[in-house]
Amino acid sequence: MKSNRLLLCIVIALAYCECCYGQWLEISNVKLRDEKTELAGPKIIIEYDVNDPNITESSPAYVFVRYSRDGGKTWRLIPTDGLQGNGFDMVDKPGHKQIIWWGTEQTSFTDVNQVKVRVRGLAMARIPAGKFFMKSLPGGGRDDSKEITPEPNLSLFYMARCETTVSMYADYLNEVGAEGAGWNSRMNNSDRCGIVRNEDHTYSVEPGRENYPITYISWYDAANFLQWCGVRLPTEAEWEKALRGGIYLDGDDTKKKPNPRPERRYPWGDESPNEGGVFRCNYDGEEDGFAYTAPVGSFSKFASPYGVCDLAGNVAEWTLDWYSTSHHAGLDGFRMVRGGSWMAVPAACDAITGATQLPLKESSIMGFRAVKGSPTSLLNVEYRTPNIQ
Amino acid sequence: MKSLNRRQFMKGSIGAAAAFAAISQSPVRGANDKVIIGVMGLGGRGTQLAEMFAQRPDVEIAYLCDADSRRFARAREAVEEAQNKRTKLVQDFRKILDDASVDALINATPDHWHGLGTIMACQAGKDVYVEKPMAHNVWEGRKMIEAARKYKRVVQVGMQSRSAAYAKKAKEYIESGKMGEINLVRVFNMMQHPRQKQAADQPVPEGFDYDMWCGPAPKLPYNPGQRWLNQWEYSCGPIPGDAVHQLDLARYLLNDIPCPKTVAHAGGVFSLKDGRETPDTQLATYEYGPLTLMLEAALWTPYMKKTPAEIRDSDLFPNWPFSATKIEILGTQGFMYVGRHGGGWQAYDAEGELVRSEYGRQGDKEHQDNFIDCIRTRKKANADVEVGHQTVLLCHLANISYRVGNQRLEFDSKTETFTNCDQANKLLKREYRTPWIVPETV
Repeated sequence: MKSNRLLLCIVIALAYCECCYGQWLEISNVKLRDEKTELAGPKIIIEYDVNDPNITESSPAYVFVRYSRDGGKTWRLIPTDGLQGNGFDMVDKPGHKQIIWWGTEQTSFTDVNQVKVRVRGLAMARIPAGKFFMKSLPGGGRDDSKEITPEPNLSLFYMARCETTVSMYADYLNEVGAEGAGWNSRMNNSDRCGIVRNEDHTYSVEPGRENYPITYISWYDAANFLQWCGVRLPTEAEWEKALRGGIYLDGDDTKKKPNPRPERRYPWGDESPNEGGVFRCNYDGEEDGFAYTAPVGSFSKFASPYGVCDLAGNVAEWTLDWYSTSHHAGLDGFRMVRGGSWMAVPAACDAITGATQLPLKESSIMGFRAVKGSPTSLLNVEYRTPNIQ
Repeated sequence: MKSLNRRQFMKGSIGAAAAFAAISQSPVRGANDKVIIGVMGLGGRGTQLAEMFAQRPDVEIAYLCDADSRRFARAREAVEEAQNKRTKLVQDFRKILDDASVDALINATPDHWHGLGTIMACQAGKDVYVEKPMAHNVWEGRKMIEAARKYKRVVQVGMQSRSAAYAKKAKEYIESGKMGEINLVRVFNMMQHPRQKQAADQPVPEGFDYDMWCGPAPKLPYNPGQRWLNQWEYSCGPIPGDAVHQLDLARYLLNDIPCPKTVAHAGGVFSLKDGRETPDTQLATYEYGPLTLMLEAALWTPYMKKTPAEIRDSDLFPNWPFSATKIEILGTQGFMYVGRHGGGWQAYDAEGELVRSEYGRQGDKEHQDNFIDCIRTRKKANADVEVGHQTVLLCHLANISYRVGNQRLEFDSKTETFTNCDQANKLLKREYRTPWIVPETV
């Protein structure tokens, strides 16, 4: 029958919808429906609204969707290669969004009412493809696998405008942390990390700490959180380009917007963080207004040319890069950390100063942020904390 | 937006006055007194040592010092978290030496500062934990011994393998004679180092006292692409910097054999041709009469692995053929593998049958315990300055043989000079840069 060819059945389910607040972008009216087609198999349609007026082409939202088919016990990331529509990955306009989820296994739900989805959005900055000045190189020893040239050319990538926050991490823990994943013993002091682990193994944020950067996070914790989102840590080169800007801020494809200070020392320019009695980032001491970490974006006036906040100071940030692979470490080598911190002297909050840390280190001065860009193959790596007795 | 304060995170009181209350110095600390320590050099190892000592209930880290103030944060965070107390941050280590409340200095600087930093600390009445390799050159090592003895100071060298319990058991097994006469010992140090990057000299970054960092060494143009570890002016080289641990463990197992009669070196820069001065391949043969010690080391062997993390403090052994830091002891009646980093040891009889195995644990804590104990008792430390000198001497001899064209050199242990090569004797001591001069009379 003709009608059977077109659409056998449309099931509109008032599916479980869940909005995620805190430092995720506000996403509302999440709806899920199951459409069964005769030839193309089942598909799920997810609709939602994202109304943040700050979402633009240069400041898009990274939207990812996680689903559960067992009533919310376990959750998985929906792979973007099975999605169509205007509401996933980089979303560059606010409004009503639709995602069509094609798939064979995941979408063959016996009862769509049992399916739950969570849609989350992260504010990003677009960093166009092109050359920039890598001034930190060749400081310190680095892995041979890294291309090191004075003017490296990076392809397009997106970086989170803010450091990952306590509220984001607590949200993550509530999805994955029932068995203790993502949690470490140093977090048990909630004064330190800002998250309380409740007796029923749920997690709540200490009131007032929602917008502070998450700390006491090992490299593995950071990598796993980001993999959960479908993104990754920045490389050192990406981190430095996001801070300084490319030689052309609009990228090398158009070259219409030269960077006025392509060799700048800090995100805002060359002035020291406290020059002239103006406090441009969160470094050691209280004169900048913060004795410890500051809520992310507190110094947004002094963001990078792309609008990325707190690259200088607040918390130093894990990067994807190794320092070296074997010397001294014996464990997993050292990873590079960039950006200075609330405990660092102002000069250490510049574009070139880095520090090495063993990836197991959990510290009050280290956090991280997300990047979406190549090489995405890194997303397939399983980051497991070494079992050290 | 000031809803947080540091106390929420550090828990304890960190009032400056309380934190820096002076404790009167005494020659021997009472059992209940904390040992007050300053840490000089806040690189990876210095920060690690600062954190480990800060976690001890019998120690207070009062100072953190580095010529590069950009390094303060990492070490300070680790120390203040551990001891719930603030530390003083200084770029000039003489401020630590001037403080009478300080008992000891941890010297974890690059090699070129080990000697003078230790000597000045001894002169100031401080005990010293100095990282390996203990001295930049042979002459300097002897002056460190003289200073320690003259000022009656405890000097512990950071060669912690000899403090591990499994090393003592291995030593006892060898001394039991079950392996027969030990005629050959092979020490391995096979690593994977990155190439250093070629780049132009750069301005010295703000916050970095580069003149102080250079100290006794020449003030070469600032070029972070040239790693100090690969430059003779600042370093004994990356191979000695690590192999010195196994060399010291081997010396310990052989009852601290005195220095060899000859050294012959083979090797050079074979793989990492990146402008480095120090070799990436070092094969050294030391003759002691009936005993020959061989060092086999390289920086380009990715398949060779240091004792993995999961083995270091557990009941497991390394995969010996690919163990990067093993020692092989060959006797007339038996053979022994010994691993560094808690790798344990295994002994075989003349038939090649495994006859004894001992798992290991790393010796860091025992080594630090020993240092603190010696500060109180005034005994010599496990890796006393004389031990440190005799071990690093092996590194210096190999390097000097290499630097004079891989010549076989004969060494007189009494005069600590070479008897067959004037050119080699010129490399026993460095030129010191004013005002950072090691005096003839310490």
